Amino acid sequence: MSKVKDPFVRIVKRDKIHPLLKVLFYCIAILAALTVGGVLLIAIGVNPLVLYKDMFTIGMLGSRFAYKSVEGLITIFVPLLITSLALSLSFKMRFWNIGGEGQFIIGALAAATVALKFGESMSSFSLLLLMFLSAMLAAGIFGGFVALLNVRFKTNETLMTLMLNYIALYLLRFFGETQAPWNFYLSDESVRPVFQKFAETAYMPTISIGKFSLNISFLFAVAICVGVYFYLKKTKHGYEISVVGDSANTAKYAGMNVKKIIVRTMFFSAALIGLAGGFYVSGAKVLSTSVTNNVGWTGIIVAWLSKLNTFAIFGVSLLISIMQYGAQAASTQFPIIDSNFADLLQGIILFFVLAADFFIRFKLVFRKSAKKQGGKAA
Amino acid sequence: MKKVLSIFLALVMVVLCFAACGKDDANKDDGKKSDFLVGAVYINSQNDTAGYTFAHHNGITKAMEQLGLPKENLRIVDNIPEDTQQVSEAIDKLANQGCKIIFGISFGYIEAFAEAAEKPEYADILFSHATGYKSNDKNFNNYFGRIYQARYLAGIAAGLKSLELGNNNLGYVAAWGTEYAETCSGINAFAMGAQSVNPNAVVHVNKISTWGDEAKEKAAAEALINTYKCCVIAQHCDSAQPQLVATDGKVFGCGYNSDMTAQAPTAHLTAPVWHWDVYYKLAIDTAMNDPENFMSKVGIYYGGLKEGFVDISPLSENCTAETKAIIEKVKAMMVGGEWDVFSNVQLSIAKDGTITKTTAALKDNKGAEVISADGNTYFAYNKDTGALEAVDGGKDACDGVIKGSMNYYVAGVQEG
Repeated sequence: MSKVKDPFVRIVKRDKIHPLLKVLFYCIAILAALTVGGVLLIAIGVNPLVLYKDMFTIGMLGSRFAYKSVEGLITIFVPLLITSLALSLSFKMRFWNIGGEGQFIIGALAAATVALKFGESMSSFSLLLLMFLSAMLAAGIFGGFVALLNVRFKTNETLMTLMLNYIALYLLRFFGETQAPWNFYLSDESVRPVFQKFAETAYMPTISIGKFSLNISFLFAVAICVGVYFYLKKTKHGYEISVVGDSANTAKYAGMNVKKIIVRTMFFSAALIGLAGGFYVSGAKVLSTSVTNNVGWTGIIVAWLSKLNTFAIFGVSLLISIMQYGAQAASTQFPIIDSNFADLLQGIILFFVLAADFFIRFKLVFRKSAKKQGGKAA
Repeated sequence: MKKVLSIFLALVMVVLCFAACGKDDANKDDGKKSDFLVGAVYINSQNDTAGYTFAHHNGITKAMEQLGLPKENLRIVDNIPEDTQQVSEAIDKLANQGCKIIFGISFGYIEAFAEAAEKPEYADILFSHATGYKSNDKNFNNYFGRIYQARYLAGIAAGLKSLELGNNNLGYVAAWGTEYAETCSGINAFAMGAQSVNPNAVVHVNKISTWGDEAKEKAAAEALINTYKCCVIAQHCDSAQPQLVATDGKVFGCGYNSDMTAQAPTAHLTAPVWHWDVYYKLAIDTAMNDPENFMSKVGIYYGGLKEGFVDISPLSENCTAETKAIIEKVKAMMVGGEWDVFSNVQLSIAKDGTITKTTAALKDNKGAEVISADGNTYFAYNKDTGALEAVDGGKDACDGVIKGSMNYYVAGVQEG
């Protein structure tokens, strides 16, 4: 056995890493990503400094209506934050909910149904309450159903949630494109199918601070963030989730009702995502077939980059929102940069950060003898 | 590790050097150029090389070039889906930059544009929305064109080709049918153009129920050739697939949006095309020099052959000289305002180019009158009850019917 050669390079888990070194790794990653992006930008004749400056200030410098940039940022930040938090609940349990997109759509659809059906006949407060409750309930059932199948028949939750995304999306498209007398989702006045705008009672209230108007959903999102922290850290439910996540068998021996925990947590997770959908349509005042803005997918990245840490999720989703909003704001100035390039840039940054993450957890150990013959191997 | 670090640092320094150089150049230019900024929200990428967004982008850049505005003065947010919230954010970004006129090219942007135009802080910005129907009297208009006029001319070319081949079956690959007045009026105009030279011509419509899907466009064109032995394939869809199918099937075709003779040299006759730059030049010029009177000077824009906003691409070598002469004659009638397609006057054109006008009611393919014989009443089917009803407005309803409520096929059109 001892004759067998060591592999040229081995991946070894690090025991400990100094927190400062950790920060250094992330800084290097971002710097490297910006450098690679910068080389690409120079290659197409764009000054990277101008673009980066606008990107990280979300285009507020020298803009006519700077407060609108903050409003726009909050619009994309809130759904991403709530969705990521919700996903972290189920991920902590090692239950792979990749159905955020579908649950978001079902929530939005439920809220819109209430808004369009009862918009004229209810007061704003009770209408909004009913919208958000039905969004949570509908999405919760939509997600909880998968958990139920999982604990009852051992179906694969990854596949189930993934496929339900498409069912939800095409359901929404069906309502968005089918012109028929029964279809109250569509506007009557347009010849082509267009979603009906909500009545004013269904609009998310805002708080005016000078010209800036703060969408209330931001305050809710912050409250949800704190709430999820306490739920996971300080309650019995939160403890159960982490035990089930570590080992379902341990949980079973400890006398926990694992099935119930899974279904309950998944219901909460999906319900929160549905709530994000409800918030979003209430702010947008109308449905749309691209209502999710991919938060169901981006949320997964956020949750993992944050290591499922609640407050890290707040920071990471804020950063990603700034990047998304800023990249688009910055790219408008340059005729050659389209949104695909902005996506590419975000991709490069994420890729490097993930790589840094890898090197924080693992190190590469090269074979001693290989190092001597390194010239050949390379 | 040190090695890797030092390489990164070196790279960073290189970038900074380049960046510094780049900045100087940019600053030098800024002083001379006009500071009028044009904004645009696109449904697809600004770097597209074909299709709808490409046509608009081309139109805007061409218009700006003619007006002497530098390329950098066009600010674009692209790949924006028809989502009111996302469109509103895109508009905010363009307004933030100081754009004085903002174009939205896709129909579903309508609500976001209507809302933005009403915001008091955007009172000094003009909003212009393609293919829509909403507007206000201060700073919000919509624009579209009489593409049906060009389709009538393409129909003449197709009709003459069918006479020449002795085959009355014409095919039409359509994104949609009677659901949308835009596709419906195009099909009808094409059929009427063909019938003006070949009264027996039948237009077989194959609907693909989407604005663009190359595979479906291809399959639909193949079905038309195989099922009905169509000798000309016309189209209202995005790609050149139907023309490629026509080439393979050794039949002829009329493209759309761009001169598809390049893609199908042996099959293509002519294609109805848009000259978006005609509108964009008028709109940007007015916005720049006389923004106060934008609504009275540009207003709700519905240009046609006369304005040069729509046209047909140059007739290919697959068309005869007589075809060219006849088309020129009919085009002159529409340019001069002497005659238009959807009226109580129908043309019948002899092979030698003699045009006879007949005054009669226009009938749909169920035999019902859709334009009265005196030309004063336009009809459309009620969406809910299915009954044929007169459209309010009498003679003036004409444009509204073509743009919005036409939902029938004229005689000689068959769907399926």
